[in-house]
Amino acid sequence: MSLRADHVAGVFFIGVGLLVIALSGDLPTGTLSMPGSGFLPKIVAVLTIFFGLVLALRAAESKPFAAVPWADAKHAAMVVAITAVAVALFEWLGFLTTNILLIFALLVVIERRRLLPATVYSIGVVVVTYVLFAYALKTPLQAGPLGF
Amino acid sequence: MESTLLSLAHGFSVALAPANAWYAFLGCLVGTLVGVLPGVGPLAGISILLPVTFGLNATQAIIMLAGIYYGSQYGGSTTSILMRIPGEASSVMTCIDGYAMAKKGRAGAALCIAAVGSWIGGTFGVLVLTVVAPPLATIALRFGPPEYTALLVLGLIFLAYMSSSSLIRTLLMACLGLLLGMIGIDNMTGHFRYSFDLAELGDGIGIVPVAVGLFGLGEILSTPSAGAVKDIISPRMRDLLPTRKEWNEAAMPITRGTLLGFIIGIIPGSAHIISSFLSYAVEKRISKHPEQFGKGAVAGVAGPETANNAASTGAFVPLLALGIPTSPITAVLIGALMIHGVSVGPTLVNEHPDVFWGFVASMYVGNLMLLVLNLPLVSLFVTVLRIPYAYLYPLIIMFCIIGVYEVNNSTVDVWIMLIMGVVGYALRKFDFDPAPLVLGLVIAPILEQSLRQSLIMSNGNYLIFFSRPISLGLMMISIGLLVLAAYAFVLHRTDWRTKLAKVEAGETET
Repeated sequence: MSLRADHVAGVFFIGVGLLVIALSGDLPTGTLSMPGSGFLPKIVAVLTIFFGLVLALRAAESKPFAAVPWADAKHAAMVVAITAVAVALFEWLGFLTTNILLIFALLVVIERRRLLPATVYSIGVVVVTYVLFAYALKTPLQAGPLGF
Repeated sequence: MESTLLSLAHGFSVALAPANAWYAFLGCLVGTLVGVLPGVGPLAGISILLPVTFGLNATQAIIMLAGIYYGSQYGGSTTSILMRIPGEASSVMTCIDGYAMAKKGRAGAALCIAAVGSWIGGTFGVLVLTVVAPPLATIALRFGPPEYTALLVLGLIFLAYMSSSSLIRTLLMACLGLLLGMIGIDNMTGHFRYSFDLAELGDGIGIVPVAVGLFGLGEILSTPSAGAVKDIISPRMRDLLPTRKEWNEAAMPITRGTLLGFIIGIIPGSAHIISSFLSYAVEKRISKHPEQFGKGAVAGVAGPETANNAASTGAFVPLLALGIPTSPITAVLIGALMIHGVSVGPTLVNEHPDVFWGFVASMYVGNLMLLVLNLPLVSLFVTVLRIPYAYLYPLIIMFCIIGVYEVNNSTVDVWIMLIMGVVGYALRKFDFDPAPLVLGLVIAPILEQSLRQSLIMSNGNYLIFFSRPISLGLMMISIGLLVLAAYAFVLHRTDWRTKLAKVEAGETET
C-alpha cells in the first residue's frame, strides 16, 4: 500500500485532536447540567480525531503523497523567512523602514530584480502608502526611532 | 410594508449623503480591483482593508466594506473573461464561456453581459433583503440559547453539505476553526485556555489575522511569481455593447440566475461558488444548444455571473436578521461592525436603524455605481493586470501586515497571520478549503455559550433541543441533511463537488 496524501493529513488531524486533549488536562469538563470550560474543546477534539481517522481510512481515494507538488516550496519558504524578519523588526524600525526593506528584499533576493528599480519601487510604494494612511485616512502607523 | 418603505427612504437619505456615497464608491472601486487581482480574493481584500475603516463611523465602514465585497464579485469576471484566470473562486465558471467569447472577439459583449447580469442579480437580492430581513429579525427575537445552538449546528452541517470540498475535509476544517475559536479566556468561568501565558491570546485569536493569513498570505505562498503572467485580451470600447441576439440569449439565464443565486445565498457555505456552478449546470441542461457550452455560449456567462452576485446579496439576510455569518466574508463584516461597537443580530434594525437601512440602501446605490463604473473603466483594470506579479505580491504582503497589525497594534497578531499563511499553503497542498476553518473560528464563542446555557437551562437534558418548536425544526433539517450526506458519502456518489473539481481541472463536462 503506497502512502497517500490523506494518510498524512488524517494522521496530522488525529495528532491535533490528541494534542488538544493533552493540553485540556487542567480544564474542568464539568457535568451535563453545568458544563465546564473543557467541555466543548474535548468534544471537538474527539470529533477531530474521528474525522481524521475516517480521512485516513478512505485515503485510497486521494492522490499519492509523492504526487503532492512541492516545486514552489523554496519560493514560499523564502517569502516566509523574509516576512518573518520584517515582522520581528516591525516595532523597532517602524512602518516606513521595515516595509521598504521588506519589499526591497523580496524583489532583490527572491525575484532577482535589478537594484535601482527595486530601490525606487520599494521606497515609492511605501512612502505613498504611508502618506495615504497617515494623512488621508488618518490611521496612525507604527513609528520607528526617527518618528516615522 | 409602509414602514419598510419609510425606513428604506431613511436609508437612502443616509446612503446618498455625500460622505457615505463617497465611501460606497471607494468600496466598489477597490472591490473591483480586489476581484481583478489574482491571489487577492474578497475575504483577504476586506480583511486587509479593515483598518482603513477605523477612522470612519460604523455606517460608513459597513458601506465601504460591503462595496468591496460585491465589487470583487464584479471584478472577478474581468480576469475570467480576459485572461481565463478566475480573480476569485466564484468566477471559475465564467472562465469557460467568457474566455471563449473573448477569443471570438466578443470580450466587450461578455463583460457587458456579466456586468448587467451582476447588477440585476445584486439589485433583486437587495429588494428581497429589504422585504425579508426586518420580519425575520422580529421572529429571531424569540430565539433563546437552544434555538441559537440548533441554528449554528444547522449552519455547520449545511456548510459541510454544501461546501466545495469533501464532507470530511469540510468538517475537519470546521473542527479546527472551532478549536482555534476556543483559545483564550472562557467567558463563563474565566479559565485561560490554550493561551500559553501569552496575554495577547487572552481575548482569543482574531478573525483578521487568520483570514488574512489563510487567504492573503497563503495564496501568495501558493503562487510563485514565475508563470503568473498570461496573455490578456484587451476589449475595444466600441465592442462593449452586445448584439440584440446576445441580449435575447442572456435574458432568461439572467432571470434564472437571479432566483437561483439568491436562494442559495441564504444557505450557509460557499454560496456564491455553488450558485455559479449550479447556474451553469442548469443552463447547459436546459439549453437547446448544449454543444455551444465551452465554446462561447452567452448563457454560460450570463447565468453564473448573475447567480454569484445574487448569492452575495442573499448572504446578507441571515447576517442582518439573525447575526449569523453564513460565510467567512460575512463573518469578517460582523467583526468589523463589532470593532465599531455595533452588535449584529435581530436587534440591529431597531437599535441602529442608520446602520441597517443605510447599508441596505447603499447596496442599491453601489450596484448601480458598479454598472456605470465597470464598463468604462475596464481598460484601467486591464492595465493593472499588466503589472508584473513579482512587483505586486510584495505590495500585498505589506498590506497584509498593515491590515493585521492595525486592528490591535499587536505583533502577536502578525505572527499568527504568518503561521496561518503557512497553514493555508499546506492546506492547499492537501486539497483542503480553508473557508470553513474561518467560519468555525467565528461561530465557536457563540456556539459554546449557547450550548452551555441550553444545558444549564435544561439541567443537562439534551432533549431541550427537540422540545421547543423552532429548535426542533432546525434540528430535524440538520438530521435530514446528515442522512443525505451520509448516503452520498457511503455510496461514493458523484456529487457537484466532484463535477466542480473536473471543471477547475479544465474539463467542461457538467
